[in-house]
Amino acid sequence: MANPFDINGGACVAMVGKDCVAIACDLRLGMQSLTVSNNFPKIFNYAPSTYLGLTGLATDVNTVSDLFRYKVNMYRLREERHIAPQTLANLVSSSLYEKRFGPFFISPVIAGINHTSGKPFICGFDSIGCIDLAKDFIVSGTASDQLFGTCEGLWEPDLSPEDLFETISQALLSGVDRDALSGWGAQVYIIEKDKVTQRLLKGRQD
Amino acid sequence: MNHFPEAWGRPRDDVYGAYNHSYLQTSGPKTHTMSPAVTGTSVVGIKFNGGVALATDNLASYGSLARFTDVKRLRVFGNQAVVGFGGDVSDMQYIDRLLESIDIRENYSTHGNMLNAKNLHTYLAKVFYKRRSEFNPLWNHVLVAGFDGEGKPFLSSADLLGTTFSAPHLATGFGAHLAVPILRRLFPDEKPIEEVTREQAVSALKDCLKVLFYRDARSLDKYSIAVITQEGIDLKEDEQLESQSWAFAERIKGYGAQTN
Amino acid sequence: MTSLMDHPSRGETIGYSFSQPTAAPVKEHSFYPYTDNGGSTLGITGSDFAILAGDTRSTSGYNINSRMVPKVFKIGGDDETGEGAHILLSVVGFAADGNALKERLDTVVKMYKYQHGKSMSVGACAQRLSTILYQKRFFPYYVHAILAGLDEEGKGALYSYDPVGSYEREQCRAAGAASSLIMPFLDNQVNFKNQYIPGSGEGHALEPKKAEPLPQETVKQLVRDAFTSAVERHIEVGDHLQVMIITKDGVEEVYHPLKKD
Repeated sequence: MANPFDINGGACVAMVGKDCVAIACDLRLGMQSLTVSNNFPKIFNYAPSTYLGLTGLATDVNTVSDLFRYKVNMYRLREERHIAPQTLANLVSSSLYEKRFGPFFISPVIAGINHTSGKPFICGFDSIGCIDLAKDFIVSGTASDQLFGTCEGLWEPDLSPEDLFETISQALLSGVDRDALSGWGAQVYIIEKDKVTQRLLKGRQD
Repeated sequence: MNHFPEAWGRPRDDVYGAYNHSYLQTSGPKTHTMSPAVTGTSVVGIKFNGGVALATDNLASYGSLARFTDVKRLRVFGNQAVVGFGGDVSDMQYIDRLLESIDIRENYSTHGNMLNAKNLHTYLAKVFYKRRSEFNPLWNHVLVAGFDGEGKPFLSSADLLGTTFSAPHLATGFGAHLAVPILRRLFPDEKPIEEVTREQAVSALKDCLKVLFYRDARSLDKYSIAVITQEGIDLKEDEQLESQSWAFAERIKGYGAQTN
Repeated sequence: MTSLMDHPSRGETIGYSFSQPTAAPVKEHSFYPYTDNGGSTLGITGSDFAILAGDTRSTSGYNINSRMVPKVFKIGGDDETGEGAHILLSVVGFAADGNALKERLDTVVKMYKYQHGKSMSVGACAQRLSTILYQKRFFPYYVHAILAGLDEEGKGALYSYDPVGSYEREQCRAAGAASSLIMPFLDNQVNFKNQYIPGSGEGHALEPKKAEPLPQETVKQLVRDAFTSAVERHIEVGDHLQVMIITKDGVEEVYHPLKKD
């Protein structure tokens, strides 16, 4: 049986800029080499400036995104405040580790701005919840090798929101164009302190 | 007992299962060495100012059995190069015969033996590569030490696949894990080999062999060491590792019968 | 006793071990003739030059064999230093096969010159390399080769190969362990993939930025950036960067330091 992480394909990347963060994903959903949909976004919103990207097995992407919708709603009802990206990171980590010996086949990415400190935050996880705290960028999905290359080559510190959008878009599009299982359009979120901009990129359709 | 006298005294199939004839193959493809039998462990080598030093222990193992404890694994070639052998000992002896015949032929020729260590290494690498391409490998990993055509110290490695590489210090087998870090700490990459003395090189090799003897279960404290300089080869084949300290062994816990 | 009697008979044989040697299974070979020595290579062409670069680390598994094993070679030079060569070859993958391939091609190019009294063109050499690789179709040279030189018009020429000889002339190509990291970066920065001319139109009318040959200094910097990025994220790449630049004036070779961790 094929690797469950590679059946449906998909890619996600998050980047830090100056007082802003960005998170982007492709839109493909496939079954092995057959593309089934070109409208399968992998980024989910859990608070005004807290986003979670999920790549891997599509059924687990749906299950886990819904699971965190429920968990974050419960958090908000109990705490009467929005969840911070750091808090979501710990929630994701502990929830994934609960399934240590029968994990969800996903590689999550978090991007957001902490509204108490105003500081940008990104992190990634493996499928059993080990947090990868990075100062620059996080990549995940079947195009992760390619994204490591493009991000490492294009990213630089303290990018403005406009430059960060250009950087993450170029990195994602060029990355997924070299991966047969990712692409077919992309979605980009630029998160600033009190503003979130969402853009749809067409990209190559092959 | 049954009605087939030819079966009497033989293991019964219904009791012991069918005999596996693959071990007594008479037909089928020609068989080659597909795994080594009697083996030597690490070879360690280092370049220094004006020469190269090479060392191995004197053990030939048969699996986990310390079978032969007086096997010389450093072989001299024509007074200007030394080959240190790891891996299969019978293949080592075959290669040694090969090298001996080349040396004799060269010496009978009008020009005399002009093959230096670099030439020898090229030759050995090609022999290994040819044999691996025939699916009949010579199961060895060797270090060749001596001088190149310009008279500079030469140290290079070749293995059963024909892979070759060169570096200021090299080690094969377990030595690649245990000896190379020691040598790199003593002689970092930034430090040119001209700053390493013969004495430093020899003492570093002895340190490496000692650590290997402590931790490599297929090693021995009797060893051979060769120092190759322009003056010639100084080969010592019956050395004993000095100043061993097994104090550290007292503190190892978690194996055997100890409970706390 | 019954068990002896019901023993299923196989053809003429009776159910005893000594009588059925013909049924013996052939013992399988356990020797694997390849290994992966890691490393990465990269070639880019310009209007009047070609650059071929590779790191100098040699690995087997998690071990570093050596920090200085070059994988870019001059082909068809006049002596063992490669002086006078006008073709470059890089090989990455199984180093022993790489060396054998390099020596074969070097001999071929030299013999061509002796026999025809003129240097082999890069295009002819490229075709010959493909043939050499395909001759070992069923026991391949386990390498990704890149061939570089100048074509008949003096333009930079670059040919990339798969292990069994499929080849193609390209503007740029990354091969080896970190090729998946480097290649998309090159698409973006050399062929300007996904880049558009600002203000050239709205939506689909936006005009793509055309790829054109880059100046030598830009290409040199791109090569170094590509490798510093690859070193950061790939454990089999590092130590030194060997860069060879071929122009009408000959071959220039330089080494740059890379991280050694």
